[in-house]
Amino acid sequence: MVQNKKQHFIVIDDSKLDCFIAEKIIKNTGKCESVTSFQMAEVALEFISTQTVPSHNPTIILVDIQMPVMNGFQFVEAFEKLPLNITNNYSVFIISSSINDDDLNRVHNYRSIKQFLNKPLTSNNLSLLLSKD
Amino acid sequence: MEKIKILYIDDEQNNLNSFKATFRFDYSVLIAATTEQAFQFLQENDDIRIILCDQRMPDKTGVQFFEEIRSQYPDPIRMLITGYTDIESVIEGINRGHIFRYIKKPWTDTDIKSAIEEGNKFFLTNSMLKVKNNELQSAYDELGKFAYSVTHDLRGPLLSVLGALQIADTADDPEEVREILGMMGVALNKLDEYITSLHEYYSLKRGKLVYEDIDFENLVGDVAGLFKIAGSMEQIKFNVTINQAGAFSSDVVSLKIILNNLLSNAFKYQRKEAADKFVEVKIDADNTNAVIFVKDNGIGIQEEHIDNIFTMFFRATSQDIGSGFGLYNVKDALNKLNGTIEVQSIFKEGTTFKVTIPGRAHGTK
Repeated sequence: MVQNKKQHFIVIDDSKLDCFIAEKIIKNTGKCESVTSFQMAEVALEFISTQTVPSHNPTIILVDIQMPVMNGFQFVEAFEKLPLNITNNYSVFIISSSINDDDLNRVHNYRSIKQFLNKPLTSNNLSLLLSKD
Repeated sequence: MEKIKILYIDDEQNNLNSFKATFRFDYSVLIAATTEQAFQFLQENDDIRIILCDQRMPDKTGVQFFEEIRSQYPDPIRMLITGYTDIESVIEGINRGHIFRYIKKPWTDTDIKSAIEEGNKFFLTNSMLKVKNNELQSAYDELGKFAYSVTHDLRGPLLSVLGALQIADTADDPEEVREILGMMGVALNKLDEYITSLHEYYSLKRGKLVYEDIDFENLVGDVAGLFKIAGSMEQIKFNVTINQAGAFSSDVVSLKIILNNLLSNAFKYQRKEAADKFVEVKIDADNTNAVIFVKDNGIGIQEEHIDNIFTMFFRATSQDIGSGFGLYNVKDALNKLNGTIEVQSIFKEGTTFKVTIPGRAHGTK
């Protein structure tokens, strides 16, 4: 890993405040090249599916589970159907307030989900995640 | 009280006639000389509670007949009428569980009556059990949904506030702190809205209806007043037309829940950029009916979501805060009042809800 390499982030959460919190914490890490928030997963998906420029450093997606219209799992399902040259550019993390066992277990059913993070996002959690990459 | 409906099958017409003559005052009696005819009766009468059948008939035995109808008509209580000589098949029938009781030939009025009364008790207990089981199942299903939603809808806003506190703690700019505080307020309002909906949900589930004369002018004024204070009506034209031709009796708590949720949605889900935002309420009421229209020119509902909007926790949009509880409660309240709701919506153009509620006549229970 190249030290101090900066990352792109996408946050998907129907709660404006949670997007704001995530953005702040991401920016505070100093490892953030850009962060884009979406309150609707279907809009995020649309955005992602049109980004065809390959990147060497995958963009990190933080996606909530419970959202209206398209929830986090539906998003991941749709995401996994995108062509590889797109999905390879992203690392997907679930971030949720859920303490429901079904949700926690369900995460393992998706190959693209790297990890389940508990809300609220903290600088510590995020740093851990970034250092692993 | 309505008479218990009984079907009696016997190939001897004399038996049928005397049975009907004896019991027609106490019970509603259907008689069939053949099993085909009996099938016909079962098809046409779903309220038959007790079936009495003679064991010896030309085409089949009573035990066979009961076996045949059992899966299609499981509810009526089955009783076999038979002479001593058939005792083996009776024992078999009872042991295989499809006959409630057997009546010995020749029967007396008292034999039949006591058998019917007991059979009826058994029938009532069974149907009660069925109803209770269904209630239990739906309560259990809802509990499951609840347990799940509690983590998200109660815990979510709390975690947001905790997260915001952590950021506010390190923020230097007072402007930024103020912004964070504002967002914390939104999260807490969401929590409060959820708890209020929860309260509505329980008052609807457990509460009794209290009928009184409704003054729609006052009712709409009360409900709309709350939105005015909360500032939800800003830049939205609010029009109310009420034609109340007579006294309309209903439950004010349910009506408030209905109006409050429909109006709240109409104010919330406006198209932000629209210049001519409006919400219209039109009520026509007399002593038999109230018809309430709530119309807006807001974001509308996508066609594929229309069927789901009354489902608990379903949300068709992420615009503004919402619990996914509102329209479920509306529907629940209307079920209690025997009312109906229709929706017409065009995505990005607006939505109209039409609610029809029958008024309760004075002096009835």
